[in-house]
Amino acid sequence: MLPLRLLFRDWRGGELALIASALVLAVTCVTAIAHFTDRLTRAMEQQSLTFLAAERVLRSSQPVDTAWLDKAEELGLQQGQIIQFASMISANDQFQFVSVKAVDSGYPLVGHLEIRRSQDASSEIVQQGPPPGEAWIESRLMPLLEINLGDSIGLGDTQLKVTGLLEREPDRGTSLFDMGARVLANVHDLPASGVIQPGSRVRYRYLFAGDDQALKEYFSWLKPQLTEHQRILDLREGQPRVASALNRAERFLFLAASLAVLLASVAVGLAARRYGLRHTAYVAVMKSLGAGRNKVLAIYLGQLGALTLIATALGLALGSFIQAQAVNLMAGFFPVAPPTSHWSPLLVGLATGLACALGFALPPLFRLARTDPMQTLRKDWSNPDKREWLGLILGPSAMLLLIWWLSGSLAMTLALLAGMALLVGGSALVNQLLVRGKLASLGGAWRIALGSLQRRAAFNTLLIAAFGTGLLAMLALVFARTALIDEWRMQLPEKAPNHFLLNIAPTDVNGMRQMLEKEQVSSTEFYPMVRGRLIAINDTPTKELKDRPNGVRRELNLSWTENLAPDNRILEGGWWDKTSEGVSVEVELAAQLNLALGDQLRFSIGGLEVEAPVASFRSLDWNSMRPNFYMLFAPGTLEGFPATYITSFYLPPENKLLINDLVRSYPSVSVIELDKIILRIRDTIDQVSFAIESVMALMLIAGVLVLIAGVRASIAERLQEAAIIRTLGGRRRLLLKSLVLEFGLLGSAAGLLAAIGAEATLIVLSQRVFELPLMLHPSLWLLGPLVGAILVGIAGTLACYSSVSQPPLKVLRELA
Amino acid sequence: MSAILSAENLYHRVSTSEGPLTLLNNISLQLARGESLAVTGASGSGKSTLLGLLAGLDKPSEGKIWLAGEEITAMDEEQRAAVRARCVGFVFQTFHLLPGLTARENVMLPSELRGERGAAKRAEEFLAKVGLEHRLSHYPRQLSGGEQQRVAIARAFASFSGEDAILFADEPTGSLDAGNGAKIIDLLFKLNAESSTTLVLVTHEQRLAERCATHLQMSAGAVESYESLTGDDNLSEVSA
Repeated sequence: MLPLRLLFRDWRGGELALIASALVLAVTCVTAIAHFTDRLTRAMEQQSLTFLAAERVLRSSQPVDTAWLDKAEELGLQQGQIIQFASMISANDQFQFVSVKAVDSGYPLVGHLEIRRSQDASSEIVQQGPPPGEAWIESRLMPLLEINLGDSIGLGDTQLKVTGLLEREPDRGTSLFDMGARVLANVHDLPASGVIQPGSRVRYRYLFAGDDQALKEYFSWLKPQLTEHQRILDLREGQPRVASALNRAERFLFLAASLAVLLASVAVGLAARRYGLRHTAYVAVMKSLGAGRNKVLAIYLGQLGALTLIATALGLALGSFIQAQAVNLMAGFFPVAPPTSHWSPLLVGLATGLACALGFALPPLFRLARTDPMQTLRKDWSNPDKREWLGLILGPSAMLLLIWWLSGSLAMTLALLAGMALLVGGSALVNQLLVRGKLASLGGAWRIALGSLQRRAAFNTLLIAAFGTGLLAMLALVFARTALIDEWRMQLPEKAPNHFLLNIAPTDVNGMRQMLEKEQVSSTEFYPMVRGRLIAINDTPTKELKDRPNGVRRELNLSWTENLAPDNRILEGGWWDKTSEGVSVEVELAAQLNLALGDQLRFSIGGLEVEAPVASFRSLDWNSMRPNFYMLFAPGTLEGFPATYITSFYLPPENKLLINDLVRSYPSVSVIELDKIILRIRDTIDQVSFAIESVMALMLIAGVLVLIAGVRASIAERLQEAAIIRTLGGRRRLLLKSLVLEFGLLGSAAGLLAAIGAEATLIVLSQRVFELPLMLHPSLWLLGPLVGAILVGIAGTLACYSSVSQPPLKVLRELA
Repeated sequence: MSAILSAENLYHRVSTSEGPLTLLNNISLQLARGESLAVTGASGSGKSTLLGLLAGLDKPSEGKIWLAGEEITAMDEEQRAAVRARCVGFVFQTFHLLPGLTARENVMLPSELRGERGAAKRAEEFLAKVGLEHRLSHYPRQLSGGEQQRVAIARAFASFSGEDAILFADEPTGSLDAGNGAKIIDLLFKLNAESSTTLVLVTHEQRLAERCATHLQMSAGAVESYESLTGDDNLSEVSA
């Protein structure tokens, strides 16, 4: 009980307020960020799941055994079914090749459809596909088929009434089955239509959603039974680009959370150190009154324990409240309705509170317990115990373990460590340069400011490191974020091709090219395309390969060209001359297949076999939205096989009707409208950007609060000094100017160090974590000191303002 | 009369950047229960160091000290703290009241450190004895210097939990004006007499030293003179 009574009394005296607020701040920030990122990440995951329209999908080229679906039913999973195929539909003697998607009442399990009930109505959100006997179509089919809403279209032997215009479907993909205008129908109409015959190319997608554990159990049971025609798709496997974006976003958000932890712990460390120093006299007195080291330790550990629990509980509540308000305010920006709060961020907050308290507040208390009671007689309150190694080891170790746990990335943790090591080492150096400089000769306020910096040389090293950490965090975040977004934007350039034309007959290539040129649409090259399967490497059948990569489990689009596309680069071997033969292989697939130059590859194309040596390895940019191929042959090798052509081009939205003209002129051509898919991807990226902006704002607030906490730690000394100077005739304005100068100098020194640290951190992060190209950031070196001077100058001056505003007599009496 | 405090051949040395420094050089003394001892000497003569060693705040480099019948020089820090908690009280020159605690709470502290019940009542009794019953809930910053020292005296007397009680006072009037200093000394000696406490007093003031039964004059860490001011001259046996 004594520790609690002392805590209460001491609190009333104001001694523990700083350390408690630092702890509350730490836990609040981390809890809010952890909560927010957790909910946002889960919201983004949920949105990304809409790309699948389910949580997991089983894709198959044949209907699956009904026992599989019964098993899912048994485990309580929600189910939906999609049957997809390309077909002709008819109306008014007009025929059109379309992509039919027949769905059951379960579709979509995740996400929603958007339709219009009439041409001038606004879109409405629906959770189910059309009922039997009805179809929803894309609006551009209406002029092609010369129909209106309410008319019927013929699908095989059945007639379907068109009752809606399909605006958006969550899982619009890019496969061959998605090419052409979409017709959404009900699976119950398929048997009567007779369009699916044995041998028809149909893709079956079975959708599943439900409890995580049940999904895990189901797919562990299902996986061993799958044939090579069946595949399980989840968020990461189904949409690799989205998964990669999400993964990067997760890492970034965790980096922000980790830096918030670091900032907060610096604040706790500063406050705890000050607390320890202030209590040296008290402990010496207590010891002279008969308290032994263990008693003192028990009292202060009890106080710290109670303080940590109270502050952590308050921080958890505040953090949860803040994030709830933030999420409510920003609900409109969330990709989906914000998921409910999870308990795990509370655990993160609790662990942070404990790590900050144990790592940073405990060492000063251990030092406190070793206070020499003889100090009461010597009247000397400096802490004679020089063994600060415990604090130097325990705090950073606790933080590193916490950051490692938070980020799950050793690389990220080590990158932060590198930045921090640089910062602490540099702090001492910069501080020395600052106080030994000739700035004092500038007189008046400069002399007072420099004097103040000199008097607190050791503590200022700590402050520079603390401010530097805050600024480092901010600079690293701003620049990493800029680089991250830049790279994302670069992945999807503004005028990236947004339409693919497939199934172009060789005889239509010239006509189509002319048509596009006439409309001033610049297309990529027209590539011939032959479908074939890689069946052997140096006479070893690919079926015998271990861990067969995707490239040999399915048919590949094989092509040939004389000209290397601009986004392709030969890494090994050489490009064709007129006499060359062979095949150029995409470098990642080549690595997966362990290929060497000269290896003989055998392909099966339409029942015939073709052999070609590997002539080169080639890198390419799948994000360029240009036609790209794993296998590019030398001209002359595949010319004997029947080929269709493919091209891509950028079409501005206002020229969208060109698609209708194209399809009307070349009915056999299939159009893939990437602009719709790109729109979905861009939406997701915008959400990710917003998430980063939000975390940045929280980080900034955390940083400023930590700076203030650091400055407040020295307030008592400052009050005394200012009071003495004023008693001796110093004017308030002079003191104010000296404060601005002192903190401005401190801030710019911290900013300079932060710039160095941030640059080092960015280099490591860009290389190891974000996989971005190496870049130096000259603007960082200007921005760091400038932002540091402004931010620390304002925060420090405001925090210390009371030292120049209070009457000196009052201050001196209170401090006596 | 049995000795409650005795020291035998005390030496105390510390290492400094300029080599070892001897703070105390062969000090021996003996003090009977209820007796009072004044330690005087110039600044830096080793008075406060001797006081700290006698109270068990630190261990001498050499020599032995018995406090309340126990050899504290053979004890570790925790054991010495236990002895202090039981029978040592302190009054410091600069009072050393905890600023976050009220007058009553400051006086309660020794009892609370011993884990005793009724600390508040006991504190109020001692504060009444020093004439501060109307200042119980005041914080140190709300009290005058004289009042703060009276709270410190009340705390010192609240430190004793048994019959063996030794009060160590380090320049108790050093921070007070003459008037307040005299009042404090009167109070100290009055309480000392009432409770038969043994008193060890470090002071610069000759007048104050003269009120004690014995007087130890120090110079450069050694005993310059050690004499009884009550005519009892058997001190030569233990003087250096």
